[in-house]
Amino acid sequence: MTYFMFLLLMALVVGLVAVASNPTPYFAALGLVVAAGVGCGVLVGHGGSFLSLVLFLIYLGGMLVVFAYSAALAAEPFPEAWGSRSVLGYVLVYLLGVSLVAGLFWGGWYEGSWVVVDGLKEFSILRGDISGVAVMYSSGGGMLVICAWVLLLTLLVVLELTRGLSRGTLRAV
Amino acid sequence: MNPYVLAILLSSLGLGTTLTFASSHWLLAWMGLEINTLAITPLMAQHHHPRAVEATTKYFLTQATAAAMILFASTTNAWMTGEWSINDLTNPIASTMFMTALALKIGLAPMHFWLPEVLQGLDLTTGLILSTWQKLAPFALIIQTAQTIDPTLLTLLGATSTLVGGWGGLNQTQLRKILAYSSIAHMGWMIIVIQYAPQLTLIALGTYIIMTSAAFLTLKTSFTTKINTLATTWSKNPILTSATALALLSLGGLPPLTGFMPKWLILQELTKQDLPIIATVMALAALISLYFYLRLCYAMTLTISPNTTNSTTPWRIQTTQTLLPLALFTTTALGLLPMTPTIMMLTT
Repeated sequence: MTYFMFLLLMALVVGLVAVASNPTPYFAALGLVVAAGVGCGVLVGHGGSFLSLVLFLIYLGGMLVVFAYSAALAAEPFPEAWGSRSVLGYVLVYLLGVSLVAGLFWGGWYEGSWVVVDGLKEFSILRGDISGVAVMYSSGGGMLVICAWVLLLTLLVVLELTRGLSRGTLRAV
Repeated sequence: MNPYVLAILLSSLGLGTTLTFASSHWLLAWMGLEINTLAITPLMAQHHHPRAVEATTKYFLTQATAAAMILFASTTNAWMTGEWSINDLTNPIASTMFMTALALKIGLAPMHFWLPEVLQGLDLTTGLILSTWQKLAPFALIIQTAQTIDPTLLTLLGATSTLVGGWGGLNQTQLRKILAYSSIAHMGWMIIVIQYAPQLTLIALGTYIIMTSAAFLTLKTSFTTKINTLATTWSKNPILTSATALALLSLGGLPPLTGFMPKWLILQELTKQDLPIIATVMALAALISLYFYLRLCYAMTLTISPNTTNSTTPWRIQTTQTLLPLALFTTTALGLLPMTPTIMMLTT
């Protein structure tokens, strides 16, 4: 189990490096898909199965799909994947940075163990993530209302920024 | 801009700061900061020219980075200590990361490089909101956590900001960049004293907001953004010109004007804490800032007027702008020094 989680975390780092190294957005979206997918796997290993499901459905299945379609609309004639010189430079620099920091924080065999979200390992019905969602709707109701307001605000901000087609703020619209 | 959208954006600006003020949980404070960043983005880009869009992009990227760092610091703290409360930031990694993030948010040196470029791309009203309102929420968080942050970091940030604010502003002819460097210098003064006497930080913040509002509103009323055009304001509005000269000297921290109050109290606090070298460095750095404020006064009032002109002066038509805030801020920026004991009592 620990080895599997280790694999997933390595894949997470590689996916994030693939996004941050500045390829064509289409390939960066692929890196995001990989990173989010293995992140969901890590969450499941922690015991947060509901949160992982929500992340998969809404983030990957909703927002990232929309982003991939929008990125496909902005296709380039000469896309730069991770083999082209400039992107490869970034990839190597980031991997070097990650390995440096990992070497700095490397512990012994006794450091760290894989613990789950709450105290009892597998013997509870209400895990940490599900009860978190429940608290968000009950005691955290005010925060939820503010989150809804922020979503509306974001919509209005985006609409205002893209108003006016090419005469407006973003000339590429 | 559509008035409904403008109303929603301005009310969201208010909501964001209020949320950060009222929060004791890191997530809620982060939400308030992000609401502020989101709400001001269309206000910055409302004049759709590329310079404004560039300024908006730079502002959004830096503020989003800072907000992500704040989230990272608070989750690190929650992971290490289990505490989400703002006052309990006990992990040193988390508190250092948090201070760096907030320094990036308010434009302290050495994370100040975005501020002059962003302010230069904005119109004066949005620049005013950026320099005053957007500083309130991060300062609320800084004041609450200052006791747990490494003292060396705070002192370094403060001293570097004051020096950079002075030296950076020396070669500028664009007024918005000068005001940006003045903001950096004043933030440095606020940060240097926060570990000893947080009420002096509040006083410094309050007086800075008043003085910089006076400066921005003056420039807005006279439609000037460069020193060249500043030199002709005497013919448009002579009373405002003379009052602005004094307001600029107040920004520079000269007695008997309001700007002297925070500097005096902060230097006194630093000497009481047995830090004479830091106090001397701060005073000398303020001298550098004073030079470019004096240069502005020189351009405005001390060279040209009153003299015989070789061309006709412009017609002084009744202006359509609201002048009450300008009058209020200018008067307060000039005359608040005798109220020092009252203000100290208000902020204790």
